[in-house]
Amino acid sequence: MSGEPNKEESDDNAEPLDLVRLCIDEVVIVKLRGDRELKGRLYAYDSHCNLVLGDAEETIYITDAEEEGDKVRTVKKQCEMLFVRGDSVVLIAPLESIR
Amino acid sequence: MSFFGFDAMLARDRGHSASAPGFGQTPDAFAGLGGGVAGDDDAIDFEDTYDGLGDGLDETDDAFNDDTFGGGPASQQSVGKDFDFAGQTSKIAHTLQEEQMLYQTQQPPSHQQRPPPPKPSKPARTGYESYHDPNYIPQLEARADIWGLKPKHPVPAKQPENQAPPPPQPAKKMMSLEEVEAMIRAQTLQHEEPAPVLIQPQQAQPPPLPVHPHQQVPHSQPHFPGIPGQGQFVPQILQRPQQPQQPQQPQHAQQHGPHQRSGSRHQQVHAELPGHSVQAPPVHHPTILQRQRPPPNEPSIQQHRHAPPQPTAQRPASQPRQILQNPSRLSGQGQPMAQPGPPASRGPAPGHSRGPSYPSMVVTNPEQLLHLSKEEREAFLAEDAKRAKRNHKIALLSKDNGLMTPQDKNFITRIQLQQLMTATGNLNEQTPEAAIAEDFYYQVFSQIRGALRQTPHQPASQFAQTYLFQTNGRYGPGRRHGRGADNHMQRMEQQVQRAVEAAKAKPKAKQLTIEGSLGKISFSNSKTPRPLLSMKRPESTDKQPSKPHKVSVADRTETLRNIENVYMTLMHMEDHERTLPAPINQDSDPEAIQRHMEWRTKIETLHKKLWDDIKIMEPINPNPLTPHPFIAILSHAKGKKAIPRIFRHIDEQERITILTMVVIHLDKLNVVSHGIATPEEPLSPALRDEIELFLHSVVPPLYAHIFESPLNIIIGLLGLILERNNVHVVARTKIGMSLLIMLISRAELLKQPPEINVVDWENWTELYNRLFDAVEPILPLIFPGSINDTDDMYVWQFLAAMGVGASPEQQQRLVIGVKDRVMETVGVSKALPPEMAGARLANVNLFMRAIGLDVELLG
Repeated sequence: MSGEPNKEESDDNAEPLDLVRLCIDEVVIVKLRGDRELKGRLYAYDSHCNLVLGDAEETIYITDAEEEGDKVRTVKKQCEMLFVRGDSVVLIAPLESIR
Repeated sequence: MSFFGFDAMLARDRGHSASAPGFGQTPDAFAGLGGGVAGDDDAIDFEDTYDGLGDGLDETDDAFNDDTFGGGPASQQSVGKDFDFAGQTSKIAHTLQEEQMLYQTQQPPSHQQRPPPPKPSKPARTGYESYHDPNYIPQLEARADIWGLKPKHPVPAKQPENQAPPPPQPAKKMMSLEEVEAMIRAQTLQHEEPAPVLIQPQQAQPPPLPVHPHQQVPHSQPHFPGIPGQGQFVPQILQRPQQPQQPQQPQHAQQHGPHQRSGSRHQQVHAELPGHSVQAPPVHHPTILQRQRPPPNEPSIQQHRHAPPQPTAQRPASQPRQILQNPSRLSGQGQPMAQPGPPASRGPAPGHSRGPSYPSMVVTNPEQLLHLSKEEREAFLAEDAKRAKRNHKIALLSKDNGLMTPQDKNFITRIQLQQLMTATGNLNEQTPEAAIAEDFYYQVFSQIRGALRQTPHQPASQFAQTYLFQTNGRYGPGRRHGRGADNHMQRMEQQVQRAVEAAKAKPKAKQLTIEGSLGKISFSNSKTPRPLLSMKRPESTDKQPSKPHKVSVADRTETLRNIENVYMTLMHMEDHERTLPAPINQDSDPEAIQRHMEWRTKIETLHKKLWDDIKIMEPINPNPLTPHPFIAILSHAKGKKAIPRIFRHIDEQERITILTMVVIHLDKLNVVSHGIATPEEPLSPALRDEIELFLHSVVPPLYAHIFESPLNIIIGLLGLILERNNVHVVARTKIGMSLLIMLISRAELLKQPPEINVVDWENWTELYNRLFDAVEPILPLIFPGSINDTDDMYVWQFLAAMGVGASPEQQQRLVIGVKDRVMETVGVSKALPPEMAGARLANVNLFMRAIGLDVELLG
């Protein structure tokens, strides 16, 4: 499941992305720039935090400027398979640990 | 009027006046100045004066000159009127352009090459544009406008030269600043007289006009005598005879495409130059008129000024032109006179203006056409148009021809071949390692697909197998097109069926044994209170919700890390397997044996590591707060998917260990503990996926193992289920039921050989009875969904498996337990379409047959 043979990697978590590795094939929450969030199964990632998510749900938070009150509208989109470019990724969290 | 002397200047044309348009227009103002003198004595070669800057001109962007400089017809019109300084010259601007074009096209090829001709304009000259194609022509015009105007300045400088004493000869190329200024001053003086201005441009454009026609003749058309008043384009050809100057017209058409199209422009020109109309009686085309002007003056002026310096050699060439250009002469003499001119200069023309490709079948001699009938002429015209069109197309298509050198082609071919090799030849390659390194996923994919498995290439198919299970597991949940998955279900079904058949085959013997087991029935009767033990039930249901909370984040992370370690080790093992050295035999050299030993050692190490990684040997905590690490691994999808891969690498004993571990913790598995569905509360899709995944990834290896196991192991496993698990939970879930089916049906099959170990059998029967008693109370509950839920096949299978081994009395109890469901299903199936009904009834029959009945009997 988790990628091609990779002999170099050691067992200890030497770098942050090794923790992301633990989330492979798990449902994760990904926060993106531009008030967006994704929830989906993490299929793959790389060192740039490019991600591939399966069954992803994107949530866009829109604040209406006219209304002074903190009214936030959300728009949701569903996507069976999604590639996320790493430069917009702010945060990756496993869904389970958030609950 | 010197104005009309215009063309006369051309007669002087020296081979290459440096000021010729397209060459040193911009760069070579001084060369132009000196040119008058230089050209005279031929001391200066063009090569010397030409600074080569023209080569560097990038004309690819000339297309936008219109935008930048406002070169469009309309704007030109306004511009021409708005500015004083441009007033004079603008009137004849297009004439100048024509001249330039003439000169350019006329240049011998060698010269022609130097000013890089705008590439796009080439196709425009195929002659096709005279039919259509407005695209290129504007470009030409813009270019001519912009660049054509410039020469006027250099040219004026030339004028003073003629009048003023010639600059010092020795410094032909270079003049001092004072000299230049003086000349310019003189020039400005001259400018005031309109006539010289006109003449100057001509000097700048020495090329003889007459040559033109030839170049165009091939493209456009042969001269057609006296056929006026045809379409816009065709007329050009036809008009020729009428107007001797026609030859130039095609050129106009090309250079001033827009003019021609609109026609308005020509008219405008007319207006600007009064007296034209007067001179040109049959005004067929405005352009023609413009031509006519110059001739009158030409001869005289030209003769005066340039006659002396002109090299004799060039004279002959220029002479015919004059004849052609002189309208008065030609008009008087008619066509024949005009004709001779073109042929003379025809030679050089084909070279540059048009590719040699053009078939010169075109009647170059108009006289030929004269003799043709009208139909023939039309046919000829049509054909010619067609040919021109085709040529244009060919030109368009072939414009990129020859871009690649043979080396380039070879290079590309080599790359393609390489790709082909890696794509298809990997299996047979000497180093599959390389192929795998290059394209790992494709290798796996293609091998799983089996497309390339032509030969029993052992490592390859093994390699494929490694991933085959995994792929099934991956695609398993949700969509079940995994081959292995279906296989598994089929086999299970088959086994149940075989058990049923076997039971039917020897009912007598059964009766006997059953007779013996009658007492046991009473045993079970006596144990009927046992179901009270299922007081556990509420207890376990309490447990369910509390469980997830117990899984702390730390545990979870630990589990995930374990899984990753497992995968890492798995991948190392699989990778290591690919490097398996050739099998050794007696003759193997020590080195090979050594390699083999090393490989063995390595795989042993990895094997051990894998075994440690799955944490299966962690002590079992009888009352755990957290699930066993191995079970925790199984709670993750990727953990489940790892099982088939793990099973490949471990030995028999270890498989039993895993199987045992799973069985012991059966009701702790989340797919079991949360897997109880009721009609009111169906499973969540996520959980359903988990269950499917478990069924397709974990169960098959377990099943494969159970299928090989002897009775005593089956007994042990069933015992474990009964001892360590809440049977009510297990029996109400798909996973638990599948395991029970496997165990019971396997036991039923093992019954058949005569040499049954009687002790084992006794044990089994006892266990079976216990199981039966435990399950009986929940028989009405074992169906996961309502009557309309079609996913109940496994339940019927379970009932069938139970029924086969049951005593008659137990069978009766079974029937009583599920009677309602049977009747309902039969009832429902009557309302269903035949196929679905058949499927449902077949499921029911699976059970009914096991106990010697048939749905038909209920009908």
